[in-house]
Amino acid sequence: MDLIVFYLFATLAVIAALGVVALRNPVHAALCLAVVFISLAALYVLLSAPFVAAAQVMIYAGAILILFVFVIMLLSPGVDQGAGALKWQRPLAAVFGLALAVELILVLASAVLPAARGQYTPERLAQIGDVQAIGALLFTDFLLPFEITSLLLLVAMVGVIVLAKKRVRS
Amino acid sequence: MPIDYLPILVMVVVVIAFAAIALTFSALTGPRRPNPSKLSPYESGMPPFGSARRRISIKYYLTAVLFILFDIEIIFFYPWAVLFRQLQLFGLIEMAVFVIVLLVGYVYIWKKGGFDWD
Amino acid sequence: MPDAQTLTLISPELLLSIFGLLILLVDVIWREKSQSALPWLAILGFALALAATLYIWGSNISLFAGMYMVDMFSLFFKVVASLAGILITLVSIDYLRQRTPYRGEFFAIFTFSILAMMLVASSASLLMIYLSIEFLSYTSYLLTGFLREDKKSNEAAIKYFLYGAVTSAVMLYGLSLLYGVTGSLNLTDIAAAFSATVDSTVRMIALVSTMLVLAGLGFKISLVPFHQWAPDAYEGAPTPVTAFLSVGPKAVGFAALLRVALTALPQWVLPAPPPAPVKEIPLVLAVVSIITMTLGNLIALRQTNVKRLLAYSSIAQAGYMLIGVVAVNLTGNSPFSGLNGILIYLFAYLFTNLGAFICVIAIENATGIVEIPEYAGLVKRAPLVAALFVIFFLSLAGIPPTVGFIGKFFVFGAALREGWLYLAAIGVINSVISVFYYFAVVRQAFFEAPKDATPIRLAPLVTLSLVVSAALVLAFAIYPQPLLNLAAWSMGMVK
Repeated sequence: MDLIVFYLFATLAVIAALGVVALRNPVHAALCLAVVFISLAALYVLLSAPFVAAAQVMIYAGAILILFVFVIMLLSPGVDQGAGALKWQRPLAAVFGLALAVELILVLASAVLPAARGQYTPERLAQIGDVQAIGALLFTDFLLPFEITSLLLLVAMVGVIVLAKKRVRS
Repeated sequence: MPIDYLPILVMVVVVIAFAAIALTFSALTGPRRPNPSKLSPYESGMPPFGSARRRISIKYYLTAVLFILFDIEIIFFYPWAVLFRQLQLFGLIEMAVFVIVLLVGYVYIWKKGGFDWD
Repeated sequence: MPDAQTLTLISPELLLSIFGLLILLVDVIWREKSQSALPWLAILGFALALAATLYIWGSNISLFAGMYMVDMFSLFFKVVASLAGILITLVSIDYLRQRTPYRGEFFAIFTFSILAMMLVASSASLLMIYLSIEFLSYTSYLLTGFLREDKKSNEAAIKYFLYGAVTSAVMLYGLSLLYGVTGSLNLTDIAAAFSATVDSTVRMIALVSTMLVLAGLGFKISLVPFHQWAPDAYEGAPTPVTAFLSVGPKAVGFAALLRVALTALPQWVLPAPPPAPVKEIPLVLAVVSIITMTLGNLIALRQTNVKRLLAYSSIAQAGYMLIGVVAVNLTGNSPFSGLNGILIYLFAYLFTNLGAFICVIAIENATGIVEIPEYAGLVKRAPLVAALFVIFFLSLAGIPPTVGFIGKFFVFGAALREGWLYLAAIGVINSVISVFYYFAVVRQAFFEAPKDATPIRLAPLVTLSLVVSAALVLAFAIYPQPLLNLAAWSMGMVK
């Protein structure tokens, strides 16, 4: 059952991701991106991480995608007309991209990642709750990254004012 | 457990089915007598003018970015609120530091007029 | 709960965070009245952070569940970061005055970017490495595009950002593979997991993920083929920011590279005793190093804009430094361990390259000139700047008696010791090539007639930072012992 759901959403995610790259109309690409985000949220649920799934839907599908659409409306770029001045760039990119894909598939297909399983098995998560598990780690061991995140957000706030705010009274 | 999400799946299926049925059924059975005013985008409404693909002001972008930033902040609040009792005083201090840093940002945006529309 | 000892050990970072916040607040509360005080507040922050770093000098401890290492290696980079912060702030004061109304924000973001450098240097977990590198990247993008009215600055920031976003995504994928294969974010645990297994697929995944991580770090260091952003970003960014980009991200990029290579992947990186063949990762790095040096130097020969020239020169310099990573060998007590070579080189490069950029800033501030042909007759217009240009270029080319020579000596020495003869040879040939373009600038400055002979007046702060950097370049060359000791101590790390 889980496997069927996984393949369903994994296929959906891959197809939509191809759509993001391949579609010429940026609004369509953005809609595909929404499908990618939601499929990924479904995969996170399968991995017993519903909190991450909820965050994915709220932040990525909810906020970041809106920002993308705003930027598209801001620039109103129209429909991509295809290759620009550097005509040889696309075939070259295809060759290198394919090479990388083959390499990764060869490496990853031959191995089941042998990492030891951590202490948070799906059963244990179901028992203590995944939000509790995340919170307990986030606010103890991962204290430093957590506080740095706030500085990162602050820099982003200052940055958006500096770059995007119309001239302030001064 | 994934099985807990079955209702969402059921709802998605119902929504798609409802839309499909409603559209096909009315297309098959409804009478079709088009006239120009019926075919306009808003019947009895304002006639649309200009392109929908015009550029919008960068002010929306500012709002959207600020929304994302505070949205991310709230995501961090949720596990903290769930664990509030367990984390005790230390958790409170931790979150206070986090919030104070963001509060500096808030004051900054406010003073620089980031919340003013003009 | 972090105790008082932990707080002391992260005091440089705490001080910089507090000063960054303080600058922002002072700026919004007192506005114009505070403008002239803000850079000095930043400098005070850097000076206190430097003092705090020296106060905890000699610590060797891992904090926050092994995520954060406060060891001599990271403290070395914290010294580099604070010094770079002080020098660059000094030269930004005059530069920014006419160019942007957002000076308070500039110094706040700049303080945070120095903080991010310190965080990268101490990170010992994949999560912290990624987070702090992103932190450094965001601040760098902002600083690059800081001149909103200037199209070139915008273009620079966009190019830098797009390149950075893609390489950071690739790096993140590599990090996720490393995590997937070892089940740990902690670099020491990753090393333990790797040495516990003999599975050959694990080796393949380790190699592939290292290459992916190298994309992200190579972007920070500006290694070929992740260098294309550098010339445009360097040219368009406000020149003090260019000076920062050429030393800051590069230095801590090397810090992260060394930390990952030596702590998490020692068995793929450190050489085995002689009969064993050369390992793949050093081999790849050697090829990258050769291409980086050669390409950087050859393209630099054709540049006419001094900022672009220094951009390509700094790409080439990254290639020289990478030789130290290729030839790293921590066994025995040799003075040529590769690692100390990189540290000495980085320290030398810090003052030399900053000095060269301060020369550019001094002239750009007074006249707006950045094209090399317009440097004609500089010696008559600004004799001090012209003379110091020679010193900094000598040091960049690695010619004694400058500190750049000492850096190259130890890096190439390590390559010779480890049997990378052709690598050292190519490095030397490249250094010779670099003399041509460095001295094309000097030739313009000294032997061409000036079109406009009005003397260039230098701002006192810029002159001060120029003289300080030049003095350090010469002083460490004549009496390098403190620098050698510093590098030797800092190696007592990575384990």
